[in-house]
Amino acid sequence: MNTALQSEIEVSARQGIPKRRRWLSKLKKDKWLYILLVPGLLYFLVFKYLPMWGVLIAFQNYQPFLGFWNSEWVGFEHFRNFFANPDFFRLLRNTLILAIYDLVFFFPAPIILALLLNEVRLAYFKRIVQTLVYVPHFVSMVIVASMTYVFLTTSGGIINELVAAVTGQSINFLADTDWFRPMIILQMMWKDSGWGTIIFLAALASVDMEQYEAAVVDGASRFQRLIYITIPAISSTIVILLILRLGSFLDNGFEQIFLMTNSLNRSVADVFDTYVYFVGITQGAFSYSTAIGLFKSVVGILLIYGSNRLAKRFGQEGIF
Amino acid sequence: MKKEKSGLRKNLAFLVLSSVLLLSACSGGNEGSEGNKESTPPQSTQNTGTETDGGEKQEEPYKISIMMQSFDTNLPNADSPVIKKLEEYTNTDVDIQFVPNSSYPDKVNITLASGQLPSIMVVDKTPSFISAARAGAFWELGPYLKDYPNLSMANDIVLNNSSIDGKNYGIYRERVLGRMGVTLNKVWMDNLGLQPPKTIDEFYNVLKAFKEQDPDQDGKDDTYGVVITKYAGPWDIMQVWFGAPNGWGDDGSGNLVPTHMTPEYREALKFFRKLYEEGLVNEDFAVMDSAVWNDPFVNGEAGVFVDVADNARRLNSPMQEKEPRDTSYTNVFQAPVGPKGHRDMPTTGYAGMLAISKSAVKTEEELKKVLAFIDKLGDVEMQMLLGYGLEGTHYDMVDGYIVPKENLDPGVLQQYNGLNQMLTFIGPDTPTLEQTEINNMIAEVQAANEKIVVANPAQPLVSEVYAQKGQQLDNIIADARIQYIVGQIDDAGLDAAVKLWRETGGDDYIEEINRLYKESQK
Repeated sequence: MNTALQSEIEVSARQGIPKRRRWLSKLKKDKWLYILLVPGLLYFLVFKYLPMWGVLIAFQNYQPFLGFWNSEWVGFEHFRNFFANPDFFRLLRNTLILAIYDLVFFFPAPIILALLLNEVRLAYFKRIVQTLVYVPHFVSMVIVASMTYVFLTTSGGIINELVAAVTGQSINFLADTDWFRPMIILQMMWKDSGWGTIIFLAALASVDMEQYEAAVVDGASRFQRLIYITIPAISSTIVILLILRLGSFLDNGFEQIFLMTNSLNRSVADVFDTYVYFVGITQGAFSYSTAIGLFKSVVGILLIYGSNRLAKRFGQEGIF
Repeated sequence: MKKEKSGLRKNLAFLVLSSVLLLSACSGGNEGSEGNKESTPPQSTQNTGTETDGGEKQEEPYKISIMMQSFDTNLPNADSPVIKKLEEYTNTDVDIQFVPNSSYPDKVNITLASGQLPSIMVVDKTPSFISAARAGAFWELGPYLKDYPNLSMANDIVLNNSSIDGKNYGIYRERVLGRMGVTLNKVWMDNLGLQPPKTIDEFYNVLKAFKEQDPDQDGKDDTYGVVITKYAGPWDIMQVWFGAPNGWGDDGSGNLVPTHMTPEYREALKFFRKLYEEGLVNEDFAVMDSAVWNDPFVNGEAGVFVDVADNARRLNSPMQEKEPRDTSYTNVFQAPVGPKGHRDMPTTGYAGMLAISKSAVKTEEELKKVLAFIDKLGDVEMQMLLGYGLEGTHYDMVDGYIVPKENLDPGVLQQYNGLNQMLTFIGPDTPTLEQTEINNMIAEVQAANEKIVVANPAQPLVSEVYAQKGQQLDNIIADARIQYIVGQIDDAGLDAAVKLWRETGGDDYIEEINRLYKESQK
């Protein structure tokens, strides 16, 4: 597609047609392609760009009944309040620690799982396992949270019964601040590692088999083949997904955190996402919570941009 | 090849067409916001048109949309005979939007923010409702009430409690003032030969006995005292027994202090901590969902339930269903007497109010129709219909008492289930439930409670600070209380939490409440 377009540009450039007419004739030639593009463009315009002016309420004292036009403008006041709030550092810490845990423990999980699946020889076994590991992705977070509760509760939870049988005392996983983060990461792994393998398995399928054959002839062990062929082959996929993941670095997944929060672990569980909800929805401070959301988005953009630059510097492709 | 092309063309045409449709659907959806069709208010302008030329008899049913809580998933649909009868009686076309109680406050806030309100909305005096009412989103109803036979009977004290800046933006839903009670497992008490607890010490002894003396006589250590969930209501109730004020109390010099800054509060928390340490309360209370609150009691794991007294009936029925017996499974008593005398937590005398929005009810003429509808809900017929269903189908009248039919098919029960949430109970007295043992006990407890309930002096006051930071402030104290009970923090930690509360805005809150309180005293 890309190369076809390029060669066309070159052809028309050589023919010396004025720029404007070239543009028009191209539009005419590929009109169906452009029309195909219309629904997608409309989708982004209507659902992504049109609502965006709403972030302006972050600079207002927005009152729903006064409406956008009549609400008072307050400039950066909400941002100042937020950064001066004693909650800010606690939120930032909780959000960052969870995000780093996510990156260190959850992000590699689907890669490892995909590599393991790739080494499975029996095709039907591989297919069965693959299907089974997708299943948890379709389980609603609410169900995951209540399952966690049922398994971990100190009054009769299966896992706690086991722990009690082995160690003699039960652990209050659900209320303990030390267990909150591991619990969240484990839930994510259980739910989405399998689903995450799809994209890596697709990348693995495109690796040239001849390279493996050549490596076998050269006497490379299975592990060496993994290190020197497989991983380099999917490294660009990994980098792209990593960049995308960094863009939503500060998103901890509202639903999950919200469902697992209680009075006893709130000190580690409060993150930007849940705070925006508490302040915005339950207290009705729309402008203030918009300001926090906007702050998060700006950080997200910076992270994407930065990591993309970094990826390019290290010779990877990047996403733009 | 040619065939293929024309097929492609058709598909493309379809694509373009569908994208155009999509766009038009979106622009329509933008105005309705939320995408929630049920919450869209009725187009009532047409009705006013027909109403002027038509006489009283031919008047078209007036469209009313109502948003209210549901406590059950088995709810009536639009063609339920009960709703049909309601519509017939009030000459309306009622569109009810049920919202699960657990997410109701959020839904109210989102609906308020959207600006697209139903005609009638059950609301509490929350910060967002207060600011919406002040901004003019709801009708002020005070001046109209006297024109309606039932609504004119509304209680002035409760009207004052539910007012905002001295104005009534909603019609309260009346509740018994002294509604609380301690429900105990009667079988267990009989097994152990226990007397009803009169003091807090006796209450503690009952809990202890339920834990340690094998009250269900199965030879296993599988019971405990009181069941509590994430919902902190029972702690709020029990701390009042100890003499802690209900929300705010006089510190002796005429100033109001919040309950968590009183020594009685600390005493109560020490007691709670003891209950937790000794395993008299379920260990996982801080994480247990309130939706399963009844289960441990019904399943015979816990023997005490601290909440509204009428829960004794709600706990008894599933136990009867499992294993019917002649006498009740539950006993209900007043709060035990504490060190500061006999005290209990009251309700505010109302549970939410029916507010009428200006966005759905545009003219005064329409407002009067909605008010007439709410007024009629107070009639005996409507109270009976929405509270108990249809006579002969859902209940029978025996000697002037209501006897609900037992073992109703869920499909039949569904016809009226949950509709009582729209009742204000402002109107004439209605026949009551049959005088069973348990109903009598509940009525006795609630009547006796009137003398011992402790009012919250700050109840009618509307604080600006609380409107802005209330949730945050409440969380600090509520979390610290739970952490103290389970032993995560000690007295120093509690002091630190109170200090944080004061720094986060609590000091301003205290000052403001006291200022408002003094103004209201004048």
